[in-house]
Amino acid sequence: MSVKNSFKEEILLEVKNLQTAFEIDGTYYNAVDNVSFKVKPGQIVGVVGESGCGKSVMSLSIMQLLPKGIGKVKSGEIIFDGFHLENMSESQMNKIRGKDVSMIFQEPMTSLNPVFTIGYQLQEVLFNHMKISKKEARQKSIALLKSVGISRPEKIVDEYPHQLSGGMRQRVMIAIAIACQPKLLIADEPTTALDVTVQAQILELLKKIQKVNDMAIILITHDLGVVAEMCDEVMVMYAGKIVERTNVDSLFYNPKHPYTSLLLGAIPKMDQEEERLSSIQGMVPSLINMPTSGCRFANRCPMAMPECSTTTPLLAENEEGHEVACLQYETSKPREEVR
Amino acid sequence: MQIVTQKDANITQVSPKKSLSPLAMARKKFLRNKLAMISLIFLVIVAIVSFLAPYITTADITKVNIGQMSLKPSSEHWLGTDKSGRDVFTRLLYGGRISLLVGISCTFFVVFIGTLIGSIAGYFGGIIDSLLMRFTDFILNFPFLVFVIVINAILFGKVSGLWVLIAVISLLYWGGVARIVRSKILSEKENEYITAAISIGCSPAKVIIKHLLPNILSTIIVQATITFATMIVIESALSYLGFGVPQEVPSWGNMLNSANEPDVLQYKLWIWVPPALLITLTILSINFIGEGLKDAFNPKSKR
Repeated sequence: MSVKNSFKEEILLEVKNLQTAFEIDGTYYNAVDNVSFKVKPGQIVGVVGESGCGKSVMSLSIMQLLPKGIGKVKSGEIIFDGFHLENMSESQMNKIRGKDVSMIFQEPMTSLNPVFTIGYQLQEVLFNHMKISKKEARQKSIALLKSVGISRPEKIVDEYPHQLSGGMRQRVMIAIAIACQPKLLIADEPTTALDVTVQAQILELLKKIQKVNDMAIILITHDLGVVAEMCDEVMVMYAGKIVERTNVDSLFYNPKHPYTSLLLGAIPKMDQEEERLSSIQGMVPSLINMPTSGCRFANRCPMAMPECSTTTPLLAENEEGHEVACLQYETSKPREEVR
Repeated sequence: MQIVTQKDANITQVSPKKSLSPLAMARKKFLRNKLAMISLIFLVIVAIVSFLAPYITTADITKVNIGQMSLKPSSEHWLGTDKSGRDVFTRLLYGGRISLLVGISCTFFVVFIGTLIGSIAGYFGGIIDSLLMRFTDFILNFPFLVFVIVINAILFGKVSGLWVLIAVISLLYWGGVARIVRSKILSEKENEYITAAISIGCSPAKVIIKHLLPNILSTIIVQATITFATMIVIESALSYLGFGVPQEVPSWGNMLNSANEPDVLQYKLWIWVPPALLITLTILSINFIGEGLKDAFNPKSKR
C-alpha cells in the first residue's frame, strides 16, 4: 500500500477499447463503442452526455452488472488494480463488488430493499466481505451512518427504508457503498432524483468521503454544474463514444468539440433574459440507427463538413492533456495507413 | 443547548415505539380482521381436537361391529354409527387427523417445490427458465386422476398408502405455485435494490433467498393457504372415489365414501353430514384466513 502512494502515475482502473453490445432481434449493437480511459487513485472523473449516450452501460460493464442474456462486453479490457474484470467469474466478481469497487444508483427510492431495516442492509455488505461479529457490525453500521451525516444513527439503524426521505436513503446508499472502503466508487447519477438543496449536500458529502478515504470516483451525470463542482477530469460521451476528454477548467473555458460547446450553451443562464432556452437539435441516434461510418454527431452538428459523414474521427490529444475527436482538428484525422 | 437536549430527551421518551416491520404491520392488520380470526380459531380447535383424538375417545376406529350397524345418534354414540357399526364421532376425530396431515404436508411440499423451481427460473431467466417452465407445463398437463389411479394400482399394498398419496399429489401440483412465484420474481428482480444487492457482492443464492423471497413472501403465504384448501378437497375427492387414503384408515373423504347408497343419503344423514359439514367449514375458514392474509399484506387496504 505504501509503495502505491509513492508512484504518481499509478493507475487504478484502465479501460481499453471497451465494446459493450446489446442484442436486439438477434443482432448485437454496440451501446459503448471503443471506449478507453484511465482512472488514477483518488481522482474524480466525470462522465457527461445526453440520455442514451452509454454512460450507465459503461459503468455497468465495469461492474459486470449488465442485464443477463441481453447485454455483454463484446471486446476490450477492464483492468482494475491489476485484475482483468472482463474475464472474471461471477463468484470472483462477488469478492470485488462492494469491497474494492462499489456503486451508487440513481434512484434512492428503489435501491433499498423495502422489507429489511437499514441496519440489516448495511451489515449485509460487512458480512459479505469481512469476518466480523454481529455486535461489531452493528456498531460499525451506526458509525457509518454517522459518517454520512445522518443524525440519530442509533435509531435509523432499526428503521425501514419507507420511513426515510429520499436524501436520507441516498445517504444510506452511500454508507453501504463506502462500508468496506472501496478504492473506486461508481456513482451513476447520484443526485438526479433529489431536489436541489439535498443535491448539494450529497455532493459535498461525496467529496468529503473521497478526501478522507482517498478513493477514486467515476461520477456519471448529465448535470454540468455537478461536474464543475466535483470533478478533476471530464469525459464527454456521445452515442457510445468519448468525444472529448480534458480537465474541468479547460472543458468549461476552452471546449473543443462542437457537442461540448452546445451542451455548455444549453445551460440556462440566470442573468440573461431569453425567450427560448437553447437546445441541441435532433436526438441521440438509437442503437439500431447508429451511423456506421463518419462522425456520429455529424447530422446534428452545426459545423459539419462533407467529410464528417464519411471519415470517423479519432480521439487524439489536441493540446496538452486535452483530447478531442473531431475532424476540425488535424490530430483527430485518421492517417491513411491506419484506415 | 440545555433546552435542546431536554427537548430531545422528551421526544425520545414520548415515542419509544419501535418501528414496525412490514410483517409486523400485516400481523396487526390480520388480528383486527374478525372473520379471519374466527376462522383461525375454528381451524386451530379442529386441529387440536383431531390430534388429541386418542385422549378424547376410546372407541376402536377400525373394528367392525355387526351388532351396532347404522345406529342413530344417542348418548353412547354421539353421532351414531356407520354401516359397519363404527362410531361416527370417533372416526370424525381420527379422520380430521388424516385430512389435515395430508393437507399440511402436501401444501408444504407443493409450496417448497413450486417456490424453488419458480424462483430459480425467474431469477436466472434464459435457457434455465425455458427448460424449467416447459417442465412445469408438462407437469401441469399431466392427467391427474389417471396418474393417481395408475400409481395406486402399481403400489397397492407395497407401500403405506398415505405417503404415496401425499407424494403423488405434491409432485403433480406444484406447477401453479411455480408459475406464480416465477412471475413475481420476474417483476421483483427488476427493482434497483436487487442490482444494488449484487453490486455489494451477494451471490445469486443469497440474492434469491435474502432479497427476493422475503419480498414475495406475502404471495407465497396466500398461495399456501389456497393450496391447503385445495389439498383437503383433493384428498376428500380421491378418497370418496376410492383412490385416496386406504379404505381402513378413516379420513373425511373416506367417511363420505360410504354415502354412495341412496338409502344412506336419504335416511341416514348422521353418517355423511358431519364429515361433509366439517370439510366445508374447514375449507371455508382456510379461505377466509387466506383472504385475511391477502388484505393484511396489501398496503392499500385500510382495515
